[in-house]
Amino acid sequence: MKDMNGCNCDCASNGLEAMVRRTDAIIDRTGTTRDKLIPLLQAIQQEFNYLPSDALNRLYERTEIDRSQLISVSTFYSQFRLVPYGKHIIKVCIGTACHVKGANTVYDAFKRELGLGDDSITTADQQYSIERVACLGCCALAPVVQIDNKIFGHVQPGRVRDVLDEFESLTASQASEEAKEQSHEVQGEVRLGMENCCQASGTAEVHAAVVQACSDLGIHIRIKPISCVGACNQVPLIDVATPDGNIVRYPNIKPDEVKEILLHHFRPASRLRRLRNAILNHIDTFHTDQTWDNILFTPEKERTQSINTFLDGQHRISTEGFGHLNPLDIDEYISLGGFEALRKALTAMNRQQIIDEVLKSGLRGRGGGGFPTGRKWQMVSQASGTAKYVICNGDEGDPGAFMDRILLESYPLRVIEGMIIAGYAVGATEGIFYIRAEYPQAVIRIRKALDMCRQKQLLGQNILGTDFSFNIRVFEGAGAFVCGEETALIASIEGKRGFPHLRPPYPAQSGLFGKPTLINNVETLSQISYIVRHGADEYAKVGTEGSRGTKVFALAGKVNHGGLIEVPMGTTLRQIVEKIGGGVEGGEALKAVQTGGPSGGCIPAELCDAEVDFDALNKMGAIMGSGGLVVLSESSCMVDVARYFLNFTCEESCGKCTFCRVGIRRMLDILDRLSTGQAKMEDIDRLEELALSIKRSALCGLGKTAPNPVLSTLRYFRHEYEEHVQGICRTGSCKQMVKFQITDDCVGCTKCARSCPSEAIAYTPYEKHVIDASRCTQCGLCIDECDYHAIKKVKK
Amino acid sequence: MMKITVNDKILEVSGELTLLEELRNAGYDVPSLCYANKARHQASCMVCMVRNVANDQMLPSCSTYPTEGMHIDTESDDVRNMRRMSLELLLSDHRADCEAPCVVVCPAKIDVARLILYYDRGQMDKAKSVLREAVASEQLPCQDCKASCEKACRRGTVDTRVSVREIIAEVAKHKDSTDNVAPVSTKSTHTFSSKLGRYSEAEKEWLKEVYNQPSRCLHCACEGKDKCKLREYASQTGIKSLRYGVSSRQVVKEQQHVCGRLYFEPAKCVRCGLCVYNSQDGFTFQHRGFDMQVIIPEESKSHASEHLAELCPTGALFLREE
Repeated sequence: MKDMNGCNCDCASNGLEAMVRRTDAIIDRTGTTRDKLIPLLQAIQQEFNYLPSDALNRLYERTEIDRSQLISVSTFYSQFRLVPYGKHIIKVCIGTACHVKGANTVYDAFKRELGLGDDSITTADQQYSIERVACLGCCALAPVVQIDNKIFGHVQPGRVRDVLDEFESLTASQASEEAKEQSHEVQGEVRLGMENCCQASGTAEVHAAVVQACSDLGIHIRIKPISCVGACNQVPLIDVATPDGNIVRYPNIKPDEVKEILLHHFRPASRLRRLRNAILNHIDTFHTDQTWDNILFTPEKERTQSINTFLDGQHRISTEGFGHLNPLDIDEYISLGGFEALRKALTAMNRQQIIDEVLKSGLRGRGGGGFPTGRKWQMVSQASGTAKYVICNGDEGDPGAFMDRILLESYPLRVIEGMIIAGYAVGATEGIFYIRAEYPQAVIRIRKALDMCRQKQLLGQNILGTDFSFNIRVFEGAGAFVCGEETALIASIEGKRGFPHLRPPYPAQSGLFGKPTLINNVETLSQISYIVRHGADEYAKVGTEGSRGTKVFALAGKVNHGGLIEVPMGTTLRQIVEKIGGGVEGGEALKAVQTGGPSGGCIPAELCDAEVDFDALNKMGAIMGSGGLVVLSESSCMVDVARYFLNFTCEESCGKCTFCRVGIRRMLDILDRLSTGQAKMEDIDRLEELALSIKRSALCGLGKTAPNPVLSTLRYFRHEYEEHVQGICRTGSCKQMVKFQITDDCVGCTKCARSCPSEAIAYTPYEKHVIDASRCTQCGLCIDECDYHAIKKVKK
Repeated sequence: MMKITVNDKILEVSGELTLLEELRNAGYDVPSLCYANKARHQASCMVCMVRNVANDQMLPSCSTYPTEGMHIDTESDDVRNMRRMSLELLLSDHRADCEAPCVVVCPAKIDVARLILYYDRGQMDKAKSVLREAVASEQLPCQDCKASCEKACRRGTVDTRVSVREIIAEVAKHKDSTDNVAPVSTKSTHTFSSKLGRYSEAEKEWLKEVYNQPSRCLHCACEGKDKCKLREYASQTGIKSLRYGVSSRQVVKEQQHVCGRLYFEPAKCVRCGLCVYNSQDGFTFQHRGFDMQVIIPEESKSHASEHLAELCPTGALFLREE
């Protein structure tokens, strides 16, 4: 009876048996072929928190996967861990927007707070592990930190203890909620934007207020974190869902308003409470408008002030229904014209007519390259073979970009509709959503939306009663930027390392499993239904000659109102920054706008009046990319920005070809020397030579475009590089070239000494403070705290 | 058949073969590391690149198929410079000595490296025959020599130099044999010689621990140098010094026994993947980007075979002399 008495059993062998059993269950439900490797590893890691060797050995025994493939794949993707991590994982986002707002000091602050040495990432008590992640896609809230599934925005280095405390209290309250749920019938749900953009400073207080109010009023509801719909500057924001299925949205909520709102929707337990409810209910009528739907931006004026300018100049195609469409309400989507395009395509148009329409619309791929979508469709349609695939590329890896995440989370049905139409037009039988590992919410929503479509006969056998059958499945990426490149993405679905291969052959001829494959970006597919429904001519009215339609941008960085915007092609960068974004943060001067992420470039302020389209951006040495716009102000160092992107591509390079694997590393060596003041003038020429060579010789798009951030900054800001050779970094961003110094303006108020997290400033009231350079980590907290502007960054 | 333009000449090609194969068949000299005849390969090294005149992009000829009307450039300075750069980049991540410094400096032209190799293995007959190759008389030239071999010794940068002259003297005492004669040393004609650079403190500790044979010699000479294409091309291109320095994440001088006579030294690997693509569940890639390495897990070593040494374009995979 060993199994029955836990303690007396042979724990080790029992543990092994259990592990084998659990692994077997995963294998049984996932599959045993080589292409199932990534889903298998994901499931094993989900089950055990890492990849235990015993579970992997079981894979060798029971599947076609061998050691060579497993090592190759599991070490390629950053998602997989071969050692156990702590109970909670702290992910510090080092995306572009977070970087320019000091993400590295936040990372250092967490390590200091948790007592982690240089090489350790897990605390001794196995509670926390910390890692840097490429981009959490919450750029409007930079710097952002994610602990397990909770996102914290605007994290300051001096406040990391508060973040940890907040996280711990949230975890505790969640545990008690779960306990409550078991004992009571649930009346409804309050959903807070805790998942992504919506979580800003203040949401946690709102969360606490909801918990408190429920307990005070005796209301039993589920408190559920949700993702936002893109109004990043309108948080905190809550949704109240009642048992009858209605949802009411309250933007810009304050903690003290929570109680009233809850009373408005739910019956308190006691009679006395009910009486109060009745009275307050009346008051509440004035508090919010009464649409039993998703209302946003309509209530009180003060809530909508900045929204109006934010919304001005935007044009909605991909994000049609912005602010009121419920992402997962298929009936609402249909009532607003959803799936009309699909019906029209399937019943009133033949395949070639659809392709012609897309060709005529002038739509170009939104993933970065700008290849005409219609031509791609034509190629796949003409390729021989009966089995064809459509892949939606949702591997949005650019740091500083979150358009695809929001489109997938908030308009899943529109993307699916576009994909089904694409599938029909090119004659495909299966579609695959390739969604980035860092976007769990998008995966959940797409899965749900796909289920809904199946139920409505919009997906599956004989769609809408026609003879067209099409299925869509979801493939979760495992953390590799290069998999946004289409040939690498295909390798990844096939269960291989994300190695791109030379084109031709193009995926349109020989793609997934050797079959003709259409790969379109999320945003591209989200524009299809509009084109089919309204016609190519209507669509082509928007935009510029060479770039039709609209473009969705993720506006972030040093800008007042960041968020997701959709503007007609041809809008100028200045319009976007000044009008929609409300200008540069802190009243600083605009220095440049970085477009296209690590493949793009920096466009200097003097060129920001150019109209944004594919060709204009290319001419300026940048690219449209997937649409990240990071605003850089006069306090941003361009060498640092270039080095940041090179560091990113160096880490994300797949390693296959020499120029990308070694060449980028050598460029980074030079940039490292530049940012530490050790470079010589000829290093700049060498950097340029390397950059130009890599651009011509790397094997894939990632490598070929990787030098762009360096080339564009060299082109427009060469003087900054030269200054760095002379040991000058005017913005103080290159830490090793500056030190902090307290000037004579200091009055000895001790504010800086109290704020310093590394005790580099002695507590000397009424005396001029002094910074101990050996302890100073240059986190910048003292500068923020000082009321007398007495702390300056000076040349070392 | 289709027509392409190579430099200024028209070439008729079938379209079945890659550009590299077509060019080599037509007598053009195109270097390549990651391509081996009849072996599975994927474009990686970029040493074989040619310029696509139409768009000024560089193409790896080993994986590009010709298309009708294509115009390529295989020998302009531009192409040569780019090939040179790819070699320089590979060499900047290649921490290895082609030749042992002691051999390079020996005025008596004794192949000291091989002599010590046999000495450490206890093959004194062979060691003696190596000495005989250079020194016919009983009189050793070492007595009056200023011992440049010892001054150049790599071991000296770790702790103390190998006492080369003492070892030679000991070998000299051994009686000559005609049964166990070492093969005659080959003299390299290559002008390029890779240099290992400096050891880190950690590496020094590690080397002291691992290289503890009687001589304490690090055996820094490359055992695969005779077949190394990297060195051959670097010499042809006229590379003398490395513009990008040498810095690598690879562990220096770490030699692993794979199977039979096959050995693997990762620090010399150019990550071309030929051994990966041509062994079933044997060699594999690990990690990505600059950190990417080729490894072979202990359990998979039996899946490798000696012929992989021929495929390897450098001395990373080599057959150890019996």
